[in-house]
Amino acid sequence: MKPPSTPPAVTTFADHDVIVPPNPLKKAVVRASPGEAAEPDPVARAEQALFELSGDFSRWMESECERLDAARRAAAQGFTDKTRDELFRAAHDIKGEAATFGFPLIEPVAASLCRLIEHSPDLARVPLTLIDQHVDGVIAIVHRNARGNTERKARELARRLSQVTEEFLAHENRHRPGYLDEADAPKLVP
Amino acid sequence: MVRIDFNRLRFLVIDDNAHMRRILRTLLHGFGTREVYEAEDGAAGLEAFTHYSPDIVITDWAMPIFDGLELTQMIRQPGANANPYVPIIMLTGHSEKKRVIAARDAGITEFLAKPISAKALYQRILNIVVNPRSFIKTKTYFGPDRRRNVSPNYAGPERRKGGKAEVIKQPPLLDKAKALA
Repeated sequence: MKPPSTPPAVTTFADHDVIVPPNPLKKAVVRASPGEAAEPDPVARAEQALFELSGDFSRWMESECERLDAARRAAAQGFTDKTRDELFRAAHDIKGEAATFGFPLIEPVAASLCRLIEHSPDLARVPLTLIDQHVDGVIAIVHRNARGNTERKARELARRLSQVTEEFLAHENRHRPGYLDEADAPKLVP
Repeated sequence: MVRIDFNRLRFLVIDDNAHMRRILRTLLHGFGTREVYEAEDGAAGLEAFTHYSPDIVITDWAMPIFDGLELTQMIRQPGANANPYVPIIMLTGHSEKKRVIAARDAGITEFLAKPISAKALYQRILNIVVNPRSFIKTKTYFGPDRRRNVSPNYAGPERRKGGKAEVIKQPPLLDKAKALA
């Protein structure tokens, strides 16, 4: 699409301008006429398309686990900005994809690892064992996802890892009063 | 009854994770969009934004080179590109309050927390297309009006200074760019 071709209307106030740019997207708004046959629900169509893709999700999650494992091994050689970012992004991607890919039980474990990395003031002080336990936990849950009795064990594992992580973070941030409270403020989006 | 003809919209998806790009592409095609362009980091995203002039940008936050927040700040530079008003949806696993506020203050249009769903993505796009917001320009901010609603219960001071409004017609940014070229 071409950029807006008509000038935006600018209303100037003492310390700010209110700008109403042309809306080039109105070309996509369709008002259905009375009696017109209803269009297929676009959300249902998209959900169906996602369902048809879902056969690949287990394989995709396997590759995400390999990426997380590689990032963990690199970080074990020493935390640099690069190794820290790679480990965080790998965990963060898994956290965001877990439910979509059909592995909701790994979300809290990945989320706990993200918090450990993000809120530790000195990563060199993070016990590598704790990082390993998170990574191994994610991998174990993914591998056992299809097997019975996984859910209870996975929830217990996530609870324990989160508990240990929060105790560690509380201790490490004891000189930054209020820091974790701010980080734990209620989420603004569902 | 209003619906969107997705076939008339061009999207740019910027995410370093190939799986998430595929998910988004699948959802957008499912809505009916044909034109979906992709970029895998902030720098490639800015280049693709300039090249393809998308109608809507969907970007991740955490990406290499520069992230989704920095990308948004670069796009929201009046005069720096052909369309600083382009709607931007920030799709991210970061849903903490300070992150949402930072994204809003960088000038994003909509915030969408992972895990993604077809319904949530559709609602954000519908809101962008049907209820476009004005832009506000101050010394420190350029982006969509952060006041989505006027709250009758707000009791604090009015932070925006008023005064008699003066309406100024500005030449299109594209014309300015052409004049400078």
